[in-house]
Amino acid sequence: MIHPAFEEVTEHHHVDDATFKKRVRNTTILLSVITVVELAIGLAIYNIHKGENPSELLVLMFKGMVCILTLAKAYYIVSVFMHLGDEVRNMIMTIVVPLLLFVWFIGAFIWDGSSYKNLRNKYDRHFKESTMPVKHGAHK
Amino acid sequence: MSEVVKTSAPVSEGAHIAHPHEQAHEHHHETFVSKYIFSMDHKTIGKQFLITGIVWAIIGGLFSVLFRLQLGYPEESFPILETFFGEWAKGGQIQPEFYYGLVTIHGTVLVFFVLTAGLSGTFANLLIPLQVGARDMASPFLNMLSYWFFFLAGVVMLSSIFVHTGPASGGWTMYPPLSALRQAGDGQKLGADLWLISMSLFIISSLLGGLNYIATILNMRTKGMSMTRLPLPIWAMFFTAVLGVLSFPVLLSGAILLLCDRNLGTSFYLSDIVVNGEILPNEGGSAILYQHLFWFLGHPEVYIILLPAMGMVSEILSVNSRKPIFGYMAMLGSLFAICILAFLVWAHHMFVTGLNPFLGSVFVLLTLLIAVPSAIKVFNWITTIWRGNIRFTPATLFAIGFVSLFISGGLTGIFLGNSTIDIHLHDTMFVVAHFHIVMGVASFFGMFAGVYHWFPKMFGRYLNNTMAYMHFWVTMIGSYLIFWPMHYQGLAGVPRRYLDKRGWVSFNDFADLDKMITVVSIVVFAAQLLFVFNFFYSIFKGRKVRTANPWGANTLEWTTPIRPGHGNWEGDIPEVHRWPYDYGKDGREFIPQTEPVSAQETKSH
Amino acid sequence: MSTTTASVQQTKWWTGGKSPFNLEYGKLMMWYFLMSDAFTFGAFLISYGTIRFSQNFWPDPNVVFNAFPGAGHANLPLAFVSVMTFILIISSVTMVLAVHAGHNNDKKSVIKWLIWTIIGGAAFLGCQAWEWHHLITGEHAVLMDGRLDIVGQTTSVNPWGDLVTNEAAIAALAKTPHETLVSLAHLSDHNITHEAAMNMNHDDLMKTVSANLDALHIRKNGPVAFGGYFYGITGFHGFHVFSGVIINIIMLIMTQKDVFAKRGHYLMIEKAGLYWHFVDLVWVFVFLCFYLI
Repeated sequence: MIHPAFEEVTEHHHVDDATFKKRVRNTTILLSVITVVELAIGLAIYNIHKGENPSELLVLMFKGMVCILTLAKAYYIVSVFMHLGDEVRNMIMTIVVPLLLFVWFIGAFIWDGSSYKNLRNKYDRHFKESTMPVKHGAHK
Repeated sequence: MSEVVKTSAPVSEGAHIAHPHEQAHEHHHETFVSKYIFSMDHKTIGKQFLITGIVWAIIGGLFSVLFRLQLGYPEESFPILETFFGEWAKGGQIQPEFYYGLVTIHGTVLVFFVLTAGLSGTFANLLIPLQVGARDMASPFLNMLSYWFFFLAGVVMLSSIFVHTGPASGGWTMYPPLSALRQAGDGQKLGADLWLISMSLFIISSLLGGLNYIATILNMRTKGMSMTRLPLPIWAMFFTAVLGVLSFPVLLSGAILLLCDRNLGTSFYLSDIVVNGEILPNEGGSAILYQHLFWFLGHPEVYIILLPAMGMVSEILSVNSRKPIFGYMAMLGSLFAICILAFLVWAHHMFVTGLNPFLGSVFVLLTLLIAVPSAIKVFNWITTIWRGNIRFTPATLFAIGFVSLFISGGLTGIFLGNSTIDIHLHDTMFVVAHFHIVMGVASFFGMFAGVYHWFPKMFGRYLNNTMAYMHFWVTMIGSYLIFWPMHYQGLAGVPRRYLDKRGWVSFNDFADLDKMITVVSIVVFAAQLLFVFNFFYSIFKGRKVRTANPWGANTLEWTTPIRPGHGNWEGDIPEVHRWPYDYGKDGREFIPQTEPVSAQETKSH
Repeated sequence: MSTTTASVQQTKWWTGGKSPFNLEYGKLMMWYFLMSDAFTFGAFLISYGTIRFSQNFWPDPNVVFNAFPGAGHANLPLAFVSVMTFILIISSVTMVLAVHAGHNNDKKSVIKWLIWTIIGGAAFLGCQAWEWHHLITGEHAVLMDGRLDIVGQTTSVNPWGDLVTNEAAIAALAKTPHETLVSLAHLSDHNITHEAAMNMNHDDLMKTVSANLDALHIRKNGPVAFGGYFYGITGFHGFHVFSGVIINIIMLIMTQKDVFAKRGHYLMIEKAGLYWHFVDLVWVFVFLCFYLI
């Protein structure tokens, strides 16, 4: 298949239909399974919260797992559906490497966000008293 | 390292079928509108950016003269101001609201409209296709849209000046809660909304432009033009575009959230606020969040302004000292390092906002790291002209002036980058001095150098040299006279953004100094008007360019005809065989990139 | 011409005269545009995270998103949003198939799969409209300023604060206006119709409400930012879905008019596809940030 309109594109590869369809089907199933697992974890968190003594650590672990599963989903969407996996390696790098900026972007913002909370809890009594949740197991 | 091994399958070599950029031979009918207004020729679009930028620079510069009048002569009244500005300058004295409006528009216009659009818009458009060897930008249509979105942003911004309640006056950074509340002042009413809309349009323009620059540099290089044979301005524009594409969207998000806070009653940035005795219902937001979002763009923005100037200065210094650029790969590496660090240091603008001090210390470390690539660049520029056979053209003078300003402005950055010293210096005139020298004036010098150097390519004529030299010396000496004393003011604690400091006895010592600064800034502004006159005069009456390569430069733009048409080269696009900095090699003054490497040639690069 | 010979490995991609990534400029620009758009969404979501981390309390999404169209007041946490997620994933799959059909210059299949993708996008938008409507018009009992109130989820009020103790709720009842009590009585026991509640006297109302306090799930008002970010970010995403649907409709019309067939390639569909997948990709993260954690 030639793209006569674009001379900068010099080589063309072609995937045969059967392989392609199989790949799309497998990816669809995979994405669905991951989503179902995510939902299950979401409901698990709900039930932990409803319980008498919610374990913060367990909730945190579950949330971490959901984050990892989401990244896996994103990976499959980008690499298979958007065909990034089939591009030249350097092209993949120009997309992936700048995304690393998100590490510091997220880290610094969240760090300062929680620092703002601590500052207000320390110096703004009204803020602390009116927003700090009460432990529910205690008075039921 | 880069000999061409062409083993791929036969690329439809002869079959140049209807390539969109190969229509140079086709003479389709061009009207005045399609040639000069809705033009898709990158050279015309570049000129449009430049001329629009000049108009904005005059407006922004004039505003600075107005508020300098206030700062230098706070007790004086100037009836002419009332004639022009009516109630904003009642009794010939600039009113506080108007003062803040002037400062805000001055900053916004010069940072975004002049030094972003006017500088990289002009030279990225002009130089990228010419220097990489392409007929035009990757997408000429989106390129045209980029200019017109910029134009639209300008129209909105300009109209905000004529709004009854005045233009935005929250400072060029538009910090909430001030900028988020209409009740906070006249300038926070319609003017602030128009400011935000204008910026959103500007962001779209800069994204369209940036995507085009990246795609063109990657995809449209002519045969033989490997990435390490690109002239340095192109590398600088490339990193500039990358910075813009990744950081402007964050400002867009910040601006959208601010628009919501202003108009939809949300509380993204607002919490616990009382205005004029009225307790606002907004709660739970964080004003510091806006500053994070703003500076995530704002800091890369500084380099968006600076990098194109750096790139052009590198080229101009090498061409005019008839020597290869010193440390091409080091120049590249330091551009890359600056590009990455630019994204990691934003919060050094926020040390005293209530930012977590431990987080701040990480930002101090990252900020001071920028000194390394900056120093590499400075040493490379100096070693490039060292023992060179320098031709002191106006462009060279401005390029050397750029290096001087970059050094003196950069050194004060080390002071401000330390969070402890910043507690004392923050929001004083020291900061004003620092960023005007290193980013404002320095980038202007890079821009002037570029205009003087490539004017012959743009218009087929030269600028007048006498006026050019006058322009240079007045601007060079004047800039230092204006901004150098501000350091001392800042160290003494004189705050910025205050329109009248007579109430502080300790600052009265600076009254005469402030008068001097004001007088010099008027003189410097006049010198810029001289340049503007020279510019427009020379477009029509300047000395004509007679040779295709007047500076004896190696790069591809000088292989085009003196006045290139749309498509740039009349025949095939030339092939490139060497890097662009073979000056003074093997007894020859310069060897153009198009000349094949001969067997006898000494190895270099 | 498929050149999958060994020579491919030796191609000097960077020497100029060709795309180093073997991509036409339009696709390259689309990729980098999506990257910059990722930073727009990233900035929104990170702002949301920053505010969330600056709060002592944040609503549990399972409590907020527990309704399903036609299911009345049944507690079905995450059910509806999972339907929305699947709609978007499936529409992404149909888009992949449309792009693939374009590779094969198969106009008929392109049209078929594009139509399915457009339907998927429209369905998603419909779901979102329902969800917004449900949240805004929802009736939740909230303890504010010492009295009870009935509010929905808007950009300035958040009904999803911490649960209130029965003692505090009963204390607040005394200060609650009559009309609110009427609605509370109806809310607390759906056997009492609104009309019946209106005919009850003040004391009976108080008694009914305090007897059914557990059914009301009375909460304090929660962080206001929740609503702003939820509507802001899902709205911005919805705007992307909407523009994606418009783009796909344009693609459909162009395909039908043989524009691409005449051009000899369906590369435009590929670019539209990239945009559509990106919309799906963003949803994956919106789903994570608002509904799961």
